[in-house]
Amino acid sequence: MDKVVYTEQERWLIEPKPGTAAARARDFGIDLSLTVSNLRLTPHERVKQLDEFQHEMRVLRQAVLQSKQNGRNRSESKAVR
Amino acid sequence: MAEIAQSLKLFADFRIDCVVVGGVAAGARGSSQVTFDVDVCYSREADNLTRLANALRSVNATLRGAPKDFPFLLDEETLRRGLNFTFDTDIGKIDILGEVQGVGSFEQCFKDSNELELFGIPCRVISLENLIAAKRSAGRPKDLVALPELEAILEHRRQHNITKP
Repeated sequence: MDKVVYTEQERWLIEPKPGTAAARARDFGIDLSLTVSNLRLTPHERVKQLDEFQHEMRVLRQAVLQSKQNGRNRSESKAVR
Repeated sequence: MAEIAQSLKLFADFRIDCVVVGGVAAGARGSSQVTFDVDVCYSREADNLTRLANALRSVNATLRGAPKDFPFLLDEETLRRGLNFTFDTDIGKIDILGEVQGVGSFEQCFKDSNELELFGIPCRVISLENLIAAKRSAGRPKDLVALPELEAILEHRRQHNITKP
């Protein structure tokens, strides 16, 4: 796997100085490498990525609900037998 | 085309005067937080309310969380009498805000907003500064979680004089 190379500007977020908002975000638990990879994208690419994730979550949720429904139907059908 | 794209296209097709706020705006500004709805702050001008009601009816918008038989007429008058609404629609969850806490009305959200091209559609997106003010003022756990990253992005932009969106 290739090592990610950060620019000086990006390192300001990745290795934040104490007392900065970036340091507070890191200490809060934010993975700033994700932020940096987002900032490399255009606004359209960022929102497209968000849209695709949202869509996948909806598909996953529907699949889980369908699977639960199928399970219930199987249990009911066994109970009838 | 997925939910966010469809919602933005809907607003463009019906020529709705609005500013994208909330999680989609945060995403456009670089936040890695996820969101499951599209929030916009809309103009309260009468013509815009009519267009907005038409747009929402075209995607079968219903009040989120309300019983199926809840009497709700989606028209200009209803939008004029209310302010902030949350809808389930055929194309996903859409929240329309007449006012954004910590920022104000459409006019205030519009000020300092940028026009960004999202999915080939020119969209007004709230400024990072106003987005932070809104999240700070709303103060809900999900807003407070989003704040540190947005503040870090703003500080980063200021520190390095970054002007591109």
